[in-house]
Amino acid sequence: MIEALEKLHEEAVERLERCASEPELEQIRIDYLGRKGGKLTALMRGLRELPAGERPRAGQELNRRRAELEGLLDARLKGLRESTETLADGGPRLDVTLPGNRPERGRVHPLSRVTDEIIDVFTGMGFEIARGPDVEDDYHNFEALNIPRDHPARDMQDTFFVSDDHVLRTHTSPVQIRVMEQRRPPLQIIAPGAVYRHDDDATHSPVFHQVEGFMVDHDITFGDLKGVLTHFLEQIFQDEVRVRFRPSFFPFTEPSAEVDIGCILCRDDKDSGGCRVCRGSGWLEILGSGMIDPNVFDFVGYDTEAFSGFAFGMGVERIAMLKYGMDDIRMFFQNDVRFLRQFPP
Amino acid sequence: MKLTFNWLMELVEVPDPAAFGPDELAERLTHAGLEVEAVKPLSDDAGALIVEVADVRPHPNADRLSVCEIHDAGEPRRIVCGAPNVRTGMKTAFLRVGAVLPSGQAIERRPIRGVPSDGMLCSEKELGFSDDHRGIMELPGDAPAGTSLQEYLGLNDWMLEVSITPNRGDCLSVLGLAREIAALTGGRLRVPAVPDHLRNHPPAIPVSVEILDPVLCPRYSARLIHGLRPAPSPPWLRFRLEACGIRSINHIVDVTNYVMLETGQPLHAFDAQSIASQRIVVRTAGEANTLTTLDGSDRALHPDDLLICDGDTPAALAGVMGGAGSEVTEETESVLLESAHFDPLTIRRTAKRMGMHTEASHRFERGVDPDGTRYAMDRAVALWEQLGEAQVVPGFADAYPGERKPAEITLRYASVKRALGVELPHDRIHGIIESLGIEIKRSSDHDLVVSPPSYRFDLTREADIVEELARVHGYDNIPATLPAVRMGIQGDALLRWVRKTRSLLTAEGLNEVVTLPFCSAAMNRTFPGLWGEDGKPVRIANPLRQETDEMRLSLLPGLIENLHYHSERRSETSMIFELNKVFSLGSEGGYTERMNVAGLIRGHRPQRGLRAESRAFVFADMKGIVEDLLEGLGHANCRWRADAPTPILHPGGFAAVSAGGVPVGYVGEISPRVREDLDLPTFFLFELDFGAIVNYARPDFKVRPIPRFPSVERDLAIVVAEDFPSQTVIDWVRELDRALIERVDVFDEYTGAPISEGRKSLAYKVFYRSTERTLTDHEVNTVHEDLTRRLCAAFDATLR
Ligand SMILES: [Zn+2]
Repeated sequence: MIEALEKLHEEAVERLERCASEPELEQIRIDYLGRKGGKLTALMRGLRELPAGERPRAGQELNRRRAELEGLLDARLKGLRESTETLADGGPRLDVTLPGNRPERGRVHPLSRVTDEIIDVFTGMGFEIARGPDVEDDYHNFEALNIPRDHPARDMQDTFFVSDDHVLRTHTSPVQIRVMEQRRPPLQIIAPGAVYRHDDDATHSPVFHQVEGFMVDHDITFGDLKGVLTHFLEQIFQDEVRVRFRPSFFPFTEPSAEVDIGCILCRDDKDSGGCRVCRGSGWLEILGSGMIDPNVFDFVGYDTEAFSGFAFGMGVERIAMLKYGMDDIRMFFQNDVRFLRQFPP
Repeated sequence: MKLTFNWLMELVEVPDPAAFGPDELAERLTHAGLEVEAVKPLSDDAGALIVEVADVRPHPNADRLSVCEIHDAGEPRRIVCGAPNVRTGMKTAFLRVGAVLPSGQAIERRPIRGVPSDGMLCSEKELGFSDDHRGIMELPGDAPAGTSLQEYLGLNDWMLEVSITPNRGDCLSVLGLAREIAALTGGRLRVPAVPDHLRNHPPAIPVSVEILDPVLCPRYSARLIHGLRPAPSPPWLRFRLEACGIRSINHIVDVTNYVMLETGQPLHAFDAQSIASQRIVVRTAGEANTLTTLDGSDRALHPDDLLICDGDTPAALAGVMGGAGSEVTEETESVLLESAHFDPLTIRRTAKRMGMHTEASHRFERGVDPDGTRYAMDRAVALWEQLGEAQVVPGFADAYPGERKPAEITLRYASVKRALGVELPHDRIHGIIESLGIEIKRSSDHDLVVSPPSYRFDLTREADIVEELARVHGYDNIPATLPAVRMGIQGDALLRWVRKTRSLLTAEGLNEVVTLPFCSAAMNRTFPGLWGEDGKPVRIANPLRQETDEMRLSLLPGLIENLHYHSERRSETSMIFELNKVFSLGSEGGYTERMNVAGLIRGHRPQRGLRAESRAFVFADMKGIVEDLLEGLGHANCRWRADAPTPILHPGGFAAVSAGGVPVGYVGEISPRVREDLDLPTFFLFELDFGAIVNYARPDFKVRPIPRFPSVERDLAIVVAEDFPSQTVIDWVRELDRALIERVDVFDEYTGAPISEGRKSLAYKVFYRSTERTLTDHEVNTVHEDLTRRLCAAFDATLR
């Protein structure tokens, strides 16, 4: 017993001498004096098993050593603290430029990041989220959006067919119809999701992502469309982004507007003729929008005299590519780890 | 559509032409919804002049060279020329010494085989006009010598490419865009005049026109021209067409194309002799047959295809393409000119069926002005007269059985304010409407009745007129406002789960991927996902690639493709997941979509710190990630079983997991057979039904008080059969529900010596605690001994 105690004590003193930091010191305290696993504490417990005659002496000795060790620990702690304070005078230091021990974290896909940003801006304005199927019927994808069969507007979207009357949705706009079929105004909805086009090159992917949005109520105006989308673009692209609304055509809106932002890549460049992204125009198409066409309201049974609304749609990849300065859409679906890990955790 | 700036400006007079260049024009059109995609100068002016070759003599030292004399601004010059077509009296292109060719080559004064040459006679190719290098340029005899060639050819001009949306068929012409410019600038339209003698012709020619279906062909106009033999077009016509992307053929065809570009009305020239019956019949194909179109293909006809027939014989596919039998050829001497109006849907269906998309079908599909057939026809005839010796047969045919009544639309001033949010003054509204050629029939204090011109067939409703007002008034002039938003919207629960899942899995080191949902039939067979009986893949009728013509049943094929990609690039470790849709044609034939979450780990577990050792992934790493995910998604207690094997997983390393009482997916090591077939390194994977997890989640729980008295722990090691699941003991103890036993954890598993073959050792830690007092060793020992005895008896276990 006494032998074991002496050995423990020696061991502890030796460790104390080598100890260079407070956490290490704390570990020594736990290893010897800890209430549960402390080696000295274990010896104390073992007292009971000694013959009665030996107990008092052993107990005394144990208490002495214990007090001694506590004293040494406290002294060492004091010494350590003092030396920490004097380190400024040039003692040995950690190389603090060595990397910290970081846990290996995965990355959220850039499309998820950007979709989330878009969603947050709109939910912040009181929009709620709706979803629809990717395999969509012809009625919701085209017909009810005022794109009849055999209409040239169908050429605007190269379509994947699943059957005669089902397609892989070419846009998220059918969610508008699905929501309006189920509910009455007021509605302020966004619908994120994958869309499909029969197309594949550096600027087109057969699958990409859109966020559709619409708002229907009494007295919603084109001015409101401008206000909401301008606010959104200012939030997403920050800084003072320039926004312009330009007449265009979508079968399910009238009037329709293409929304452009001032090119964020060559905005400071006086002679912008060479910008690849905006082709020197200084403007980037970013959103399609418009006032919901009365024919669409007819399809869902809304009174066109009572309600009006606007709708818009944007490509998530397009916004992400502009935000992150990318020029090949296929990188999103290649998922190269050297691409994904460029995005901070 | 492509057109040139000068052409457009010939048709409209703008208020301040000096300030209205191509860029200004492009800006105005773009802001009015007619997006100008490109503005390009037709050609850089190298400074070439038109000259007449005054004399040609053989070169004294070279057989194939000539020495020519030309007169440039009165000065005679001697030029050495190698072109085979050089001859006395011809008009051609000349570049002075010092000029630079588009190729960058400078013209120098230097002797060629001993004879000095004072400039250069040029081919079209050398001047960058075309690829023609057969000889020096041949210019018409009336080309004015000594003047700028560039100007003579009409090349001091810009090509404009305008993207015309499908609703604006009226703008698929120079005239249509000129109308827009006039409306936008307050300018005046200048429609090229048709000579009076043509306008005064009587309405009859020796060819009759019968329309059997007035809905499909509301109007058919025609003229007959004799003495019209194909000839090369003059340079201005040729270069203008080519600037617009149309190849010059001969002046008969070129004029029909020119007038189509100018007016938007497609024209077709038949060889008049080929219309033997002198009867044009417009009818659907019905029982007929086939037609050889002028591109040389034999086209099988659909009964609904609309035909132009010579009596009973099909002569052209209406509005799409002419027939080979009635085509204008070198032998043509007279022409029957067609200027007709066809139903857009019929033309579109035929063009789609035949896989043809022509300038004519493009325009008919989008709508052509039904009132414009005669003007276009007369304009073409006038151009032929101007270009040569055409003898127009006086008179014309004009069947117009489908005449449309002009629409009348009521526009309420209040509707303008209601849609745009801004009040436009009444006189502004009237001004815009009139500038667009829309007639105001009546007006009152609160509304007006308007009638659009025949070429604005897209305007049929009040909303269409409001759009025109917004467009011409300018979107920039409509102030932005923010609408009032209603309260009472709930947060989106699914979105919260999705974000939670991403954050849990990325915290475990997995990168999120987004893969394409297309899949091969073979991969769908190997990885049928979690569908069970309902796992019938959705097939794509027109896939991008035949080998991936199905929608995925499982997320694993996409993850595996990513693993492939990275192992080919010698990446040692992959940790990825995807949260996305999978698709099935359910047993009832409906399309079903579900959200799954799947992941894959391969290689080594990443370690923290500089000298940390890495260790290969094991099954428990994958299981741990899934346990963590499931707990994070509100499933603290999941059941793991090894009794539902799936063929893609290693028979010795898989588990099915249930959460909230329903099976939600599986975790395991890839089966060696599948792995070898796919030529992949080994990896661990999981796939879970995200919808089910979220549906049965129990995210709410109550906090337990922190125990007041300490626990006492006792270890327990038993030897059991190797296939004994460790969880059995934990469940058994929970069932037992003995006082003082708080819980049991497994902390070690061991096989090998000294444990006998077929057995393993499991080590458990049992926690004893009372809520009322600190337990004594004696108390604990009693309970622990009892527990040990019962446990060994219950599971045929021995103590170790
Ligand atoms: Zn730019």
